[in-house]
Amino acid sequence: MALLEVEALAKRYGDVTVFERVSLALERGEFVAILGESGVGKSTLLNCVAALDRWDAGRIRLDGTDLGGLDERAQAHLRRTELGFVFQAFHVLPHLTVAQNVALPLLLQDRPDAARVQDVLAAVGLGSLAERLPRTLSGGQLQRVAIARAVVHRPPLILADEPTGNLDPRTAERVLALLREQVRSESAACLLATHSRAAAAQADRVVTLTPGGIVEGGA
Amino acid sequence: MTRATALLALVFAEWRHHPWRTAAAVTAIVLGVALGHAVHVINASALDEFDAAVRAVNGTPDLELRAAAGTFDEALYGRVALDPLVAAASPVLEVETAALDANGARVPLSVVGVDALVLAAIAPALVPQPARGEDRLALLDPHAIFLNAQAERRLDPRARGGSLRLLGSEGAWRIAGHVNAPGPALAVMDIAGVQAAFSRAGQLSRIDLRLVPGADRDAFLRRLALPAGVRVAEPGEATERVDAMSRAYRVNLSVLALVALFTGAFLVYAVLALSVAQRQPQLALLGVLGLAARERLALVIAESALLGVLGSALGLALGTALAALALRELGGDLGGGAFAGIAPALHVEPVGAVVYALLGIGAAVLGGAWPARAAARLAPAQALKGLGADAAPRPPPWVAPLLLALALALAFVPAIDDLPLAAYPAVACLLLGGIAALPVAIEAVLGRLPASRHAPTLVALERVRHAPQLATVTVAGIVASLALSIALMVMVGSFRTSMLRWLDVVLPADLYVRAAGAGGRDAPALPPALIERIAALPGVARVEALRVANVEIDPARPPVAVIARPLDDPSARLPLLAAPLPLPAGETAAYASEAFADLYGARPGTHVELPLPGGERVRLFVRATWRDYARQHGALAIDRRDWERLAHDASASDLALWLAPGAGTGIVRAELRAAARAQGLDAAALEIAEPAAIRATSLRIFDRSFAVTVWLEAIAIGIGLFGIGASLSAQVLARRKEFGLLAHLGFTCAQVRGVVVAESALAAAVGAALGVLLGLAVSVVLVKVVNPQSFHWTMDLAVPWPSLAALVGAVLASAAATGWAAARGAAGRSTVLAVKEDW
Repeated sequence: MALLEVEALAKRYGDVTVFERVSLALERGEFVAILGESGVGKSTLLNCVAALDRWDAGRIRLDGTDLGGLDERAQAHLRRTELGFVFQAFHVLPHLTVAQNVALPLLLQDRPDAARVQDVLAAVGLGSLAERLPRTLSGGQLQRVAIARAVVHRPPLILADEPTGNLDPRTAERVLALLREQVRSESAACLLATHSRAAAAQADRVVTLTPGGIVEGGA
Repeated sequence: MTRATALLALVFAEWRHHPWRTAAAVTAIVLGVALGHAVHVINASALDEFDAAVRAVNGTPDLELRAAAGTFDEALYGRVALDPLVAAASPVLEVETAALDANGARVPLSVVGVDALVLAAIAPALVPQPARGEDRLALLDPHAIFLNAQAERRLDPRARGGSLRLLGSEGAWRIAGHVNAPGPALAVMDIAGVQAAFSRAGQLSRIDLRLVPGADRDAFLRRLALPAGVRVAEPGEATERVDAMSRAYRVNLSVLALVALFTGAFLVYAVLALSVAQRQPQLALLGVLGLAARERLALVIAESALLGVLGSALGLALGTALAALALRELGGDLGGGAFAGIAPALHVEPVGAVVYALLGIGAAVLGGAWPARAAARLAPAQALKGLGADAAPRPPPWVAPLLLALALALAFVPAIDDLPLAAYPAVACLLLGGIAALPVAIEAVLGRLPASRHAPTLVALERVRHAPQLATVTVAGIVASLALSIALMVMVGSFRTSMLRWLDVVLPADLYVRAAGAGGRDAPALPPALIERIAALPGVARVEALRVANVEIDPARPPVAVIARPLDDPSARLPLLAAPLPLPAGETAAYASEAFADLYGARPGTHVELPLPGGERVRLFVRATWRDYARQHGALAIDRRDWERLAHDASASDLALWLAPGAGTGIVRAELRAAARAQGLDAAALEIAEPAAIRATSLRIFDRSFAVTVWLEAIAIGIGLFGIGASLSAQVLARRKEFGLLAHLGFTCAQVRGVVVAESALAAAVGAALGVLLGLAVSVVLVKVVNPQSFHWTMDLAVPWPSLAALVGAVLASAAATGWAAARGAAGRSTVLAVKEDW
């Protein structure tokens, strides 16, 4: 059974169809990049997979669980335990230290683990910055904090939405490599939404999202 | 489009985009201006009405000849009226008495005895107007009485069959018409009738004089050689007295009304601080495009001024409407007692309106000053990257200590023109200094807490801990309004407690008796035979007689009460503030009330000159000061034996009765009335009161006096809570991406809302603690400085801890509830989608 199964998914906003007939399967440990132009619905697809947005047709199964039948609390529980997120705009909480930001997913599960937090920070090269506040970090460092937070609780699936969109090419390359390395070392799968072919090249498989559905390979 | 209009268009766009937030700021200014303006208009209308009434009653004489105490011999009239420099001389005898209305309740009534033949030249409003069917010479009939509109309304002549009995006199008078004098209930009679009715034969209260044109007034007075006990009074004295009497109360009430405006300024601060924070990218872009720092500052100041203009305009309209409603429903008296019984017309003066409009604009500009500074200080390039300076920069560290030190210094400044003009700024400095110290307080309190392992608590606690200035923005309004409410609660509670203790000392007897109509300028004497009868009643174990006389020591001030009573043990008889000084040999002792000591400089160890009835003056040694909440203008207590010796007056106006064991007050009351009837007096000629009834009446008057205070407190708290809601809602909007992130991480909706509620509760808890401390500090200023300087009395500080705790608990609960309501927008779908940035 695949880790993630998306079957004939469709999303509409009123009369406007964002996408339809989207089908996708993701195996454990697989790194898949979703290519597409801006506005084609890549982020919307990720939000649907995360049960943060509703869809109008189709089905999504994550690790055998049908997401369509979950209530709000179950959805929150799913995100807490099964998913990790990396965003384009980093989105770290400005008033928590680096270590506290990374520890949040563990705290949400009532599983505080300072040693795990320290290990993950060291793995992303931020071991010495654990007590710093985010406003003192660079963009690349902030994105590494986000990656550390995404993997600290060992989720089976990482969703990365344009993680290098705010970074210069050299930093972007390093961050992507780090993301890939962490995904592999934690045996997680990763769904990367991007409009950058260079970023997509890091993936095991590339699919292209079009309004009419998923097309295998880069467009 | 000019540059200015383009910039203003940005402001209006911001208002349209956040209508509720803008409305909150405007509403705060509206309420503040409305309350202040309404109180001012009511007081001004009442004073104008009183002045008009006094002028109508007193007429427009050039001079008044008045008794320094009581009345004077009418022989002076003959000499004055014949003087060639006198064009008209109107003799007047004034008696304060009472009549019974249809329900048997006493209606205070001023009776003015006049000579109608000379009255028209000086006081035409007092000329009696005979009713239809009455002889036109009825105005000369000593058995006729003429009522003004207020007296007619309260006494209803038709229901009485056209006659009226006056307490303190015998017989009844025929209601023969009316007088056009406005103001409290008043009756006009022929002067001879009043002299006969009230046993004042040959006595006058005053003579109103109109001099011939061109007369030398000073020369006239020198030639007149007035006898002792008669003085010259200026016609406007009565109004000036009431103005002075009520000024402290009116000023305090006006300052209290401004509390709402003061709190409103904090709300404007909260709204604009968050608005500036949200508009940082916009302001930064304007900076990059060439809008200098001073211009960004001016833009925010202009925005706050516009809010002030709008709020002030609406506030003046609302305040005028409130004043009109209050004047119609409550009359002109807001609780001070100086304007009781009048029904003033609304009178709005432009100057007062302009002042309150400017105050409203000033409050708004003051609230916008700090956010304007933040807008000026932001670094445009950094702000565009999202790395802008803290949205609400902290004040320099010296601001809070400086303000608190200034408050302490101002609290020790003496009264200025009999008003605590330095104490009010002291209170403002205390509040501002406390709020400036709020970030430090938050860091000090929350800094001690360990980091939580509960994710929602961690997020909330760390946010408040690391961004205390934002928490200050949220709770500044609640700190100010809670502090002021606590201060007023403690002040009113202290006053009430002190008054109850005072009543325990001054009301030791079981029953109190006095002649009906006492309490005005004259205190009628009880017949000696009646006193003997009362002392012999089987239910009465002991009787103490008192004499209360009103004496004018300073013509610019209201008369003081001289209380002649047994003072064999003054410490037990009077609520002394300290042990009495030894009495030097040959001296006569007097005990000055706090007000008397303050107003006339009669401290213990000094002497006071007391004018006696009959004109002579006597020098008394002040042994001690005592607390008196009944007479704001001062009272002097003297042993009854000394009064008898000095004033040759053995009469008594009041009796204190101790009942025999087992004697019921109901039976003794009946015996007292029977004794009065046996003396040929109307049973209603005696006022009989038990201490419990006097206490209840005193508390009722007290509570009415402070009813307005309670309402103003509630409005201030309401504005503070509104401020929390408005700023929290704005913060939720500004932090949508943050809340969206929390949803992505797996926070449930309830947990996201819980973060907002926890933040507001944490900030409110620290704010409430600081508010309590500030409130207690302000209450000390109110109790120890404002009240003594305003009203010349002191009180013991008494903190009503249960009520205080209940108020704080209610405010905290309301803050949490407000946070919950504001947090509804924190966990919606739109916040989840807010994390997306579409490039």
